[in-house]
Amino acid sequence: MNPILSFIVVLIGIYGLATSKNIIKSIVCLNITQTAVILVFLNFGAFHGSNIPILIDKVIDMTDPLPQALMITAIVIGAAITALALMLSIKIFHYYGTLDWKELIEREG
Amino acid sequence: MNAMIIADSLQILLIIIAAVIVISKDNLQMVVFFAVFSLVTASLYYFNQAPDVALAEVAIGSAIMPLIFIISISRQREFIVISHVNDEFLSNHTYKIGKGYELLSEFTRHYGLKLKIYKSELGSLKGIFRSRNVDLIVEKCPSTHRYLLKGKESSILMNKLEQMTENEPLIEVIKIREGETDD
Repeated sequence: MNPILSFIVVLIGIYGLATSKNIIKSIVCLNITQTAVILVFLNFGAFHGSNIPILIDKVIDMTDPLPQALMITAIVIGAAITALALMLSIKIFHYYGTLDWKELIEREG
Repeated sequence: MNAMIIADSLQILLIIIAAVIVISKDNLQMVVFFAVFSLVTASLYYFNQAPDVALAEVAIGSAIMPLIFIISISRQREFIVISHVNDEFLSNHTYKIGKGYELLSEFTRHYGLKLKIYKSELGSLKGIFRSRNVDLIVEKCPSTHRYLLKGKESSILMNKLEQMTENEPLIEVIKIREGETDD
């Protein structure tokens, strides 16, 4: 439950996004970054309180339910973005014959 | 106190898995590690008092995402050929393997692709480069009796195929720019 450890995963994802040579690997690194950002948000939401935010009579110190409600939306949007990016990568492979960033940049100029 | 220790060790495991994904070179290995990554994050969501987010992450992150990754990787790795010739140039029977089939299968094996050949009539295929993911069209020139392999000019694979068929007297590679008509 340490936000710093979660933020290290965000940095690893950004590093992979910057240095990857393959389009598929770039999409996977985008997903890693997104998942880790969601984890950081949930860590910040769980600072105060130590119970699951479900309303029962005796529960007093709940965590903040607002980041959780927002992060479910973020997960679904991330899945849609991944599907769109993979479809574009199929088109790119059949048009240019390669998925390497360097060859694509040489080809397109 | 016990749950804190479990959550911290899971976070260190998460960092290790992310580093393995960034280092790895193989696509399928990367996708499998991404599914493991999603499962570990889902358990971390539960330790952060968010079981609803964990439920969504288990369903989407570790089941649907690797599925669409694997489907799209298998769609990329195929080389689609449309054949207009009627003789044994592209036949792949066991007793008589055509010369063109031998050449194309060697070419696709060298680049790790999967060869798919469809037979079709001439008239029904207008503008097929734009509408589908076709990589190559094979025809026979009626006057010179040479086999014409037509592909997109933008693709790198066509340059490699042209280098490969330089010494063949009966085969000619034609590169078509995007926007020109097929015939």
